[in-house]
Amino acid sequence: MLDRLFSQLAGVIDQYAILPILYHFGWMEWEELSFDWALICVYGLFAVLLTYAICWPLEAWRPVEKWPTKKSVATDIFYTLLNRVGVIPIFSFLLFYQVQVFFTATLTDYGFIPPPLEPLIPPLFGHPLITFLTYALILDAADYVRHRLSHSFRAWYALHALHHAQRQMSFWSDDRNHIFDDLISFLWFFVIGLAIGVPPLQFPLLILFLKFMESLSHANVKLDFGPLGERLLISPRFHRRHHAIAAAGRKSCNYGAVFPYWDILLRTADFTPDYLPTGDPKSPEPLATGTYLQQQFSGAKLFAKAWQKKDHGLSLLAPPDIELDRAP
Amino acid sequence: MTLLPRRALLSLPLLGLAPASAQNPKNLAMVMNSGEASVSVIDMDSRQVIATIPTFREPSHWALSPDRAKLYIADASGNALFILDPLTAAPLGHLRIADPYQLGYSPDQKFLAVNALRINHVDFYDAQTFKLVKRFSPGSMPSHLDFSPDSRWSFHSCQGSDSLTSYDLTTMTPRWSVKIGKTPAGVLWHQNTVLVAIMGADHIVQSDPVTGAVQRKIPTGIGAHNIFYDPTHQIIYVSNRLGGSLTALDAQNLTPIRTYPLPGGPDDIGIDPSGNLWVALRFAESVAVLNPTTGNYTSIPVGRSPHGIFLNTELQKPGKLTAEVL
Repeated sequence: MLDRLFSQLAGVIDQYAILPILYHFGWMEWEELSFDWALICVYGLFAVLLTYAICWPLEAWRPVEKWPTKKSVATDIFYTLLNRVGVIPIFSFLLFYQVQVFFTATLTDYGFIPPPLEPLIPPLFGHPLITFLTYALILDAADYVRHRLSHSFRAWYALHALHHAQRQMSFWSDDRNHIFDDLISFLWFFVIGLAIGVPPLQFPLLILFLKFMESLSHANVKLDFGPLGERLLISPRFHRRHHAIAAAGRKSCNYGAVFPYWDILLRTADFTPDYLPTGDPKSPEPLATGTYLQQQFSGAKLFAKAWQKKDHGLSLLAPPDIELDRAP
Repeated sequence: MTLLPRRALLSLPLLGLAPASAQNPKNLAMVMNSGEASVSVIDMDSRQVIATIPTFREPSHWALSPDRAKLYIADASGNALFILDPLTAAPLGHLRIADPYQLGYSPDQKFLAVNALRINHVDFYDAQTFKLVKRFSPGSMPSHLDFSPDSRWSFHSCQGSDSLTSYDLTTMTPRWSVKIGKTPAGVLWHQNTVLVAIMGADHIVQSDPVTGAVQRKIPTGIGAHNIFYDPTHQIIYVSNRLGGSLTALDAQNLTPIRTYPLPGGPDDIGIDPSGNLWVALRFAESVAVLNPTTGNYTSIPVGRSPHGIFLNTELQKPGKLTAEVL
């Protein structure tokens, strides 16, 4: 029902806003894809509204921290709108589409027709929910590895530090990333997507749910899902430990985005039931409290500095050595 | 090319009632939902969706096998042709094939031509074995196609390069490629000419099949997308995607007879035995059943971005059946 409402809204936007522009400028060859652009924006906007409607009352009800001003939260709101509703998702979609087409064409020229996942695992076919969950688990596992690597290489963490610098972590903080870090994520998922043939917009409501869970996990709220629930889905308490001051940098924990299974399997999970202050004391101040451009510039400078050091560092295989500050 | 194992076929869940049985076939419309990887099966009598059949990614157009026993549905980014029983809509497996978008059998039924829109190929397969006979790269985004009735020539619109390209099927060589208009889409052989819908403009063009030269422009509506004969071949319908209308042309002189307002992104059309037009509406996510006499229509909600539509009542008619020529 909701799904249909959204796609009809996307249809209206496509028909009365996007297509007239494409027609005017002679770009109608994109008309098959323009509906998807509209759908991305509609779902992105709804995701923001839904997240706000649920997380804002939660944060008001049981906040972990109370802040006198929320200037740096405002910057995070800008990140969220840019990443979920604005040009970045459409640009990513277009780029993914074009490169995927190039790879498919090249493989086809060499006589190999890449199949999607379903014919390789026949029981998946015709079971869209199971198919989606399989894709979600694969992508979540891939995200765990990517995230852990980003904490393992000095230069990569220099980019990722922007995400960790936030001392006023809220549900808006999920998308505060350096644009190069976003680019690496995009390329990472692009390769995975090519390998398993991710259906781009087949399950928008479920994608929306996963994005919501990622936002919720950053919320400034005292909330956990109980002993069992904590081990099924990542809660704000679980993810807060990843953002804790002492967990910034290479020796972190709780890298998962939606599911904690990979942390449990690879012994990086920490279910200690407390709520720690967040931030990265070693990162430059503009990363925490600067404007969007200041944060991007500062992150790039930090990256360049880290890149020049000879030891780029790799601690992926080392067991977690976590000594977290205790909440006051 | 592979077929799904029988076990997998048996496990295919149809979301709803079984469409029909071979002993007691219903009149069915099969609608390819490009935006949600499924085919909606509509009972044409009750006008209800009675089943939803999953595909991999993006079902678009269809072609009926020469023996009329199989309906092939192109699943572009799924790199597959899904096979349905055209009478009952029962799933019969799939073939792996590169990026099929629009497809059609040559009238002599020797070749299956497949336009691979995303990867810029036109592929000709042996109609019996599905072995690739020849692959061409005609330009950017080959979309729609048709043949000369003697099966000598094929014609392919290329949306990205604004061109129409023709191949000689007797020698499997390119004949010509000409600029035809902004973003050409639907192609239809008509009275020794080739009609092409110009989606980036508001008309169709009539082109010389020997040289490709445009002979005439016929205004229809903004975003002219696809072209269909009515069963008597007296009328030609043009769906105008952006204009939200259907234009009926007199097939003899190509003059407009009537314009039917049909908002919601009209695309492919099927025509039932009583003459009603079943039109896939891409943005409205529905199929409109339009009475061409009154201009009234009712809508049947289907999946996201309905694209091609096949009516099994067409099986009762003789002659070749493709999406464009009914």
